[in-house]
Amino acid sequence: MNILLEIMLATPFIGGLLAFIGGKVHRWVRYAVAVTFSFLTLIEALVYYNATIKGVVWGSLFGSKLVLQTNPISWLFLFIVTAMSFLIVIFSIGDMEEDKIKLDSYYMQLLFVEGAMVGIVLAGDLITFFMFWEIMSWTSYFLIIYGGKKSVAAGYKYIIMSIIGAYSMFIAIAMLYVKAHSLVYADVAATLAHSSATFVVWTVVLLGIGFFVKAAVMPLHTWLPDAHSEAPSPVSPLLSGVLIKMGAYGLFIVLYGFLSVQLAGNIMPSVFSTPILLYIIQWLAALSIVLATFLAIMQEDAKRLLAYSSISQIGYVVLGIATGTSLGVAGGLFHALNHAIFKGLLFLAVGAVIYRTGTRNLSDLGGLVKKMPYTFTALLLGIIALAGVPPLNGFVSKWMIYEALLQKKEVFLLIMAFIGSTGAFLYVYRLIHSIFLGQLPKKYENVKDVPILMQFPIWVLAVLTIVFGIFPGLAMNVIVKGMKLFGFKPIAYTLFGFPQGTAMGALKVINISAVLVVAFVAAWVLFLILSKSRKVSQYDNYAAGQVVTPELKYNYSFGFYMSFGRVIKSILKLGIERIYNYWVDAAKVFGDYYMRRVYTGNLETYNSYIVIVVTIAAVAILLGGKLW
Amino acid sequence: MVKMILIAIVAPLLAFSIGLSFMMIKRKVVARIQRRYGPTIIQPIFDIMKLLLKEDNISHGVIFSLGPIIAIAGSILSVFFIPIAGLNMLTGSGDLIALLYIMAIGSLGMALGAGDSANPNASIGISRALTLMFGYDLPLVIIVISVALQYHTTDLSAIVAAQANGHWALWSLPLSAIVGFVVTYGALGEHPFDIITAPHEVATGPMVEYGGKHLGFLMINHAFHLYVEIALFVDLFLGGASNIFIFYIKMFAVFFIMMMFDEVLPRFKIDDAVRFFWKWPTVVALISLIIVLVK
Repeated sequence: MNILLEIMLATPFIGGLLAFIGGKVHRWVRYAVAVTFSFLTLIEALVYYNATIKGVVWGSLFGSKLVLQTNPISWLFLFIVTAMSFLIVIFSIGDMEEDKIKLDSYYMQLLFVEGAMVGIVLAGDLITFFMFWEIMSWTSYFLIIYGGKKSVAAGYKYIIMSIIGAYSMFIAIAMLYVKAHSLVYADVAATLAHSSATFVVWTVVLLGIGFFVKAAVMPLHTWLPDAHSEAPSPVSPLLSGVLIKMGAYGLFIVLYGFLSVQLAGNIMPSVFSTPILLYIIQWLAALSIVLATFLAIMQEDAKRLLAYSSISQIGYVVLGIATGTSLGVAGGLFHALNHAIFKGLLFLAVGAVIYRTGTRNLSDLGGLVKKMPYTFTALLLGIIALAGVPPLNGFVSKWMIYEALLQKKEVFLLIMAFIGSTGAFLYVYRLIHSIFLGQLPKKYENVKDVPILMQFPIWVLAVLTIVFGIFPGLAMNVIVKGMKLFGFKPIAYTLFGFPQGTAMGALKVINISAVLVVAFVAAWVLFLILSKSRKVSQYDNYAAGQVVTPELKYNYSFGFYMSFGRVIKSILKLGIERIYNYWVDAAKVFGDYYMRRVYTGNLETYNSYIVIVVTIAAVAILLGGKLW
Repeated sequence: MVKMILIAIVAPLLAFSIGLSFMMIKRKVVARIQRRYGPTIIQPIFDIMKLLLKEDNISHGVIFSLGPIIAIAGSILSVFFIPIAGLNMLTGSGDLIALLYIMAIGSLGMALGAGDSANPNASIGISRALTLMFGYDLPLVIIVISVALQYHTTDLSAIVAAQANGHWALWSLPLSAIVGFVVTYGALGEHPFDIITAPHEVATGPMVEYGGKHLGFLMINHAFHLYVEIALFVDLFLGGASNIFIFYIKMFAVFFIMMMFDEVLPRFKIDDAVRFFWKWPTVVALISLIIVLVK
């Protein structure tokens, strides 16, 4: 059975290559191969449900074993990766325009990203982890720049920041290697347990920078809004739903696989019974939540809005993971799953709208609910889940994080988490209102709903928001079992929620949803008994005596929250990007001014360099290889 | 089982009657403040009946019609999570934090419906409503946290039980209670926070296209809304009540004070309303929270 682990890892890579070759034969071969192999990976992943396998050695490098492993926590992320990839491959078939040469490599890269992420979650040592981490960065870079034009600049930003993160991780890994001579997780943990506090903090910080770049935790988030909005429609959900979760997974492994709350508490001071390192991470996450929410509210571009919302939501994941209590960490991990589901859904639904209308500018759209009712319904479920309103899935995980913070009395973080959630009401309403409600522009009168190939992934995710909302126990089965392996006390849960005692109050989502449905039906019946209503056209509207015609743009969409923007003016002016740009400019000045003195572009200068180097080398040889 | 079904039917009806009675009294009191005689006391009942029984109703689409229905469903759901007179109903299925989000279901449903009416006045109204909600939510969550920490639980029925025999949170957390009052007041959208409907600016905002049975539903929802907001305040700070009459008296006292403010204040600008909520109520709520934390 263990050999399957390696097969599972190889499946997407083989599939990617075959899809590339198959595309040369016929496009349907390419599609068939991509779908089959991503589906196979999903099936292979499902085999390992709740399994724990340790130390499958698949090679060795620098005297350190290369190990694959799996446990329920890995499985949770494995499920996110494989399920989302499968759905995204299907969506891509409907969405991506036929472009023979580019599309072959597109599917190859898509499957390679999947394979790389499978590698990351299955890795049992840091070398394997880092290798697949880098494959993920590069292949996803090519996916981002697929569209050309503006996306190249966005991709550039993404890869530069990824490289910085990777260097930082590499230094940490090198430090650990020098100290431990083995990079298997268990050995790393054992080394860190006997290391000085300085060493531990440096390792965690350096690894953390790598993870936080990927997870887009402020202040390392600046690549995300550009990359997520400029990437092709099917790639955005992959980035937002899955790829940034790898940062969260890495953080979990470092904090609780290598360290533990007790260990961290022993070597550093604590605030609110949290080790100070974790406490700082919590604050970064909370700041991400609030600031990204403010920015999302002010966006005019559907995908940019969702991108900022991703920064905010990943903030909840990181905040939950960094709480260090069973309930909080479980909430954070559960939110990672939920966010993948609802943000994948939202990006796909917005992708469907872009497919039909060709724009993602919110103020150009409107009134599409009558033209694309299925996409509307799915997107509605997605925004309810995102806003954390019961009975859908986002609510449960956020509730767990709130309760965990309340138990720890970390009130200021809790206030920020709440604010991010209320702010989410504002931007999700903006999203659904500007696209689907209001007046339908005349040019979209003939728009139809998207084809079944694009509906299918959207609706699978929509159903999952309901399933995990009403039955949080399904996810808790995996999370609680996995957390036990990392030394957490298991929390009490039921299929439908949490009994009294787990948190400061009880939760039973099935009752909430049942009563909501009954109340809805009661109100609906009363509504139906009363006399029937007559449908009127969208131009039959109150306009203070004016007659509404298609020419009169009778819609309120641009600058939807302008008055709120005035309130947070001073916050919007802040920008971490300005600081980065300052350094970029400084580097440019340095390059222009000093480097030009050396690289003059003049052949004679270069010749003289060669002469100088050869002379020095000759002298060195004459002196017996010794220069000093 | 029979008792459960009975409660399930009686509780919403009771909530509706209480809310409706407040609507009736308000018409009369407002008239007296403005030195008018005012309509007959049961005028709101006539209004609702008239609207519900209208023969001609217009609809701008399915979502437009669903808006008021979801609003009422959400309000009825909230009613079951607020303990009243010793009846805990569903408080074991969702605590105070869950309730904050359950209470949002109705408003968001209503927002969807208003958006589908394809009228910019409605959209502006919703934009204002959500902005205002963001405004008062900051002090609201702070006082909710204060209460939860004070009683070491988020279970609303336990919070009510802890306040028995006159140990009201009003006495132990006076600052939070004041802020709670302001926030409840803001959530009800009375002057100076009536920016959402503001008839002179956005022609009643979200409700601009609604008429007939739809508007009747919205009036019913308003009665529920009055009940839910005030009952939550009574449970949090005035110790709930052991029987329905005392509960009603407490609610009425709160509502009466609100009415006194309502008729004498002008209207805020939307950004000023948010700034107001993020300034004094937030500062006072934070002071109260820190007192609880240190204690």
